[in-house]
Amino acid sequence: MKKPDLSKLKNLDYKKLARDFVYGKPAEERRLGDLYQDKTGLYKHREWRGIKDTMAYFNKIWLYNYGMMVADIMKYGGPIVFAKGVWRYRWLGQTYLPVMHWFDRGLEGTRGGVMLASAWHYRGMVNTTIKQFMTMLVADQNLGGDKKKHDHTVAHDETVWGGIFYPYRDHLDNVPLQMVPYFVTCHVNNHVVLNYIDAVQSIGLPGDPCPMCQAEAGLFVADDMPDYYKAVLTSNEACDGSVASSVIQDWMINKPLHAMPQPMQFDDPLVQKHCQKEIEEAWQFVEDQYGIKFNWDTLVKNLEEQNKLQEFEWEKWDVAANTNHYPINGVAQALYRIYQSQYGNSPIWHEVDGHVRKIMEKCVEQKIDTFPLTRHRVIAWSCAPLYYSNWCTWAYNCWGLNTVINMDSLMFDMTIRTDSYEHTLEDMSTYHEWAPMRRMAVGGMHHIFELWDYMEKFNCDMVMMYDQLACKGMQGVHGLFEDEFRARNIHAIWMPHALPDKRVVPRAEIRKIVNDYMFTVMQEEPIDPSLLEFDDSDSW
Amino acid sequence: MRKAGKIAKKVLGGAVAAYAGLFVVFYFDLDGKLLFHVVEPFLKNHYDKMERKDPLSMPYDIIDGDYVK
Amino acid sequence: MRDLKHLIYFEDLLQEANNELVRKAKDEGKKALGYTCYFMPEVLLDLPGAFSVRLRAPKCSSPDMATYYMSSRTCHYGRSLFERALEGGFNFLDAQLATETCTVTCRFQEHLQRMPGVINNATFKIDFIDVPFKKTENSIQHYEEQLQEHVLNFLNREFGIDTSDEAILKSIELHNEVCEIINEIGDYRKLDNPTITGYEFAVITLVSMVCPKHLIIDKLRETRDEMKTREPDAKKNYRVKVLLAGSENDDPEFTKLIESCGGLVVCDRYCYGAVEARQPIEIMEGESPLRAVARHYLETSQCTRFMEQKDMRARKQKIADLAKEYKADGIIVASNKFCEYWSYERVIDTVVLQRDFGYPVCSIEKEYINNASGQLRTRFQAFVESVELKKIQEGK
Repeated sequence: MKKPDLSKLKNLDYKKLARDFVYGKPAEERRLGDLYQDKTGLYKHREWRGIKDTMAYFNKIWLYNYGMMVADIMKYGGPIVFAKGVWRYRWLGQTYLPVMHWFDRGLEGTRGGVMLASAWHYRGMVNTTIKQFMTMLVADQNLGGDKKKHDHTVAHDETVWGGIFYPYRDHLDNVPLQMVPYFVTCHVNNHVVLNYIDAVQSIGLPGDPCPMCQAEAGLFVADDMPDYYKAVLTSNEACDGSVASSVIQDWMINKPLHAMPQPMQFDDPLVQKHCQKEIEEAWQFVEDQYGIKFNWDTLVKNLEEQNKLQEFEWEKWDVAANTNHYPINGVAQALYRIYQSQYGNSPIWHEVDGHVRKIMEKCVEQKIDTFPLTRHRVIAWSCAPLYYSNWCTWAYNCWGLNTVINMDSLMFDMTIRTDSYEHTLEDMSTYHEWAPMRRMAVGGMHHIFELWDYMEKFNCDMVMMYDQLACKGMQGVHGLFEDEFRARNIHAIWMPHALPDKRVVPRAEIRKIVNDYMFTVMQEEPIDPSLLEFDDSDSW
Repeated sequence: MRKAGKIAKKVLGGAVAAYAGLFVVFYFDLDGKLLFHVVEPFLKNHYDKMERKDPLSMPYDIIDGDYVK
Repeated sequence: MRDLKHLIYFEDLLQEANNELVRKAKDEGKKALGYTCYFMPEVLLDLPGAFSVRLRAPKCSSPDMATYYMSSRTCHYGRSLFERALEGGFNFLDAQLATETCTVTCRFQEHLQRMPGVINNATFKIDFIDVPFKKTENSIQHYEEQLQEHVLNFLNREFGIDTSDEAILKSIELHNEVCEIINEIGDYRKLDNPTITGYEFAVITLVSMVCPKHLIIDKLRETRDEMKTREPDAKKNYRVKVLLAGSENDDPEFTKLIESCGGLVVCDRYCYGAVEARQPIEIMEGESPLRAVARHYLETSQCTRFMEQKDMRARKQKIADLAKEYKADGIIVASNKFCEYWSYERVIDTVVLQRDFGYPVCSIEKEYINNASGQLRTRFQAFVESVELKKIQEGK
């Protein structure tokens, strides 16, 4: 029998091993890329982050969130309704289960406060998602759901801000049509959305319109939308594609549908009255369809609660802009903010903010350098690749590119006055005009070039310029951005992508573009070379 | 008393074993592997075979008033 | 058929934006005002002292400089306009009256605003209006306010143009006469054997949009009179009649291509077509001229921007009604590549017009300037044959 070679064991640095076991490996030794199984993006094993952080991840994130996912199902409708929904809807079955992997991807390499605060953001989104789809399923006539609930639920385009329905919250559920079936699924499991894009193209839509609108229309074409509502409110946000896809939706939905378009030239004081009237007409539609009354007190209560969320968001921005103690990573910041502000007030956001506040205050008080690997403070501009929203986690671990803030977080940048009906309506219309993907995209080019101001405000030295290949608005300013980047001597990486469709620009291609820029232009070496290239082509 | 102690020990032991088991599932990403290799292909197969409405058969009525009735 | 006396002259006028009549009007001291969209009412740009020019970029097949600015993944029309502007083709403009009505033409106009040197004319000005997405009272009111501030007040402030009610009425009068002439000419397309081709009509309609009206109207009048005695060819020179619907199209050669395949284009429901643009403006009792203009442009438009449920659906009915009125045997729905609005509209038109109204539909995607005419020719030939076959089967 051959004798085992014990020399390797003898040469091991046991002191270092013990230190790594207790505290986790230092960043430059982690080799996070070695943890992946080829193609799938699954882990050979999850990262060992040291005893404290590994157990915190296991207990406070993995176990806690799996538990809460079950608890939320029980709370919002029960397992039978849920099981029926899973069996009927692709977006639900294929998305609900890999949720914890979505956490993993976003939180890779994180430690301490960043890990916990970012995970709280994810928890908020998961709760809201479950609440929404369970509301859909309970009222869903395709599943033999509750007709009374169906008649007390209004559907709306996901780009219609949920706050429009605050005056009716006591008597009416509002659930955006696509926020869960499209938007959330793209992030959690991007395999799903491809079915919807293909479905709408199968009836003759060309491949060049915005794939977001394609997928949203495709949900109906593929007969994968629950029938949970009596009427629909739609809007023109954010772009031509959104207006145009309403035509298909109207056809496939075939129920009363009211449009609440917002003006394009929103800086013009003359448009405001018109916009306010549009909101009032939308309210009239809701009241006519559902036989309910406008409740000023409910509106004010929800707006004031929402204002508190906004005020905390400003505190967060302040810490992010002026210190290195901000405990939320790029992907958690972006997704939570867009989700929360678009969906509107909900108790879970306040709960999450409470936890995050504590963590943030601790980081500030103890002067914790939350992103110690930072080499560049990055601002991400334009709309992000939904199938790779966690690119910023990767970029930080691999290159020390710390995405401090992103364009979508900066929308809805206001509180709403509640001292009079007129002021409230005035502010609500402005708020809606400043919706995600819209605030910077329409109403004049100067909005999109506000980038320079925000770069300065957030102390950023680099731009990740999202290049959504089918976004006509952003493609239409491509050259001017190139000119301005050159003139201002700003390092900007163009990241081409196709929003939900990973087939157009795969994640590996996005990494390659960043790698090339960092090597050749920045002349830098990676922090973790194992992350430079890996195959995650089949991953969620 | 002894019996209660034994039961408590068993419950505690079971809880510790379950906790350790879950940690193994967590650490080796067994949840991800099960979902990726077994559950998702099964569900995908099911969804692919589902009978669905023909979208092009949806009526498209020109309407009298402001909205579809 | 006998050739139209002024057709070659009209064709020449379409070769460049700064054509002979535009130059003449400029020499008269009038201000040249560019626009790109129906929602910028040309009637307000034709006030005394000014004239409207709907912008085109004929023969622009390779907009290389504009592609640097706007990438290759945007509408060819918007890019071609910008290319032409970069080449100096729009330097004659005194102002651009802009609309944010579709993304890429808006971006083109925003480039003119942000890059002042592009229009090499020191006094060049630009202003934008916000255009509503509905036809409600609220929308008409809003639109009227926008026109007042960003068109009338702008023109008065910048160029001293008279924007009084009397001036608007005068402009409406001229506009309505042009419309009546064009409609009278266009009505010959409703005959069983039309005495005008779609190509000829497209040329005539276009010159009325890109030339100063007071300078082109005589020739239009003459053409109308000439039409009264024009006889059709003894032998029918087409195989089927078609309605052409779709997105922006200011290329008569595209119509010619369809007609060369045997499909006579008898109706034009597209941007730059006459169906909407050449409706006379009616002033209701008690209405101000500006109010009438605002109402008219919202009510007559069948643009795919309109989002009210009844309007979205009525658009299909309108196409079917036009097809019936003009005795079309089939419908061609053409959208420009990268046009978001018409990409979707085309899908539903293709299904609904066929299924619910019984019209054969040919659904195509095209470029602004159609270099790929071989492929299109094959599509149109096949379509014409299929419509012909259908007619034979139906015993028509």
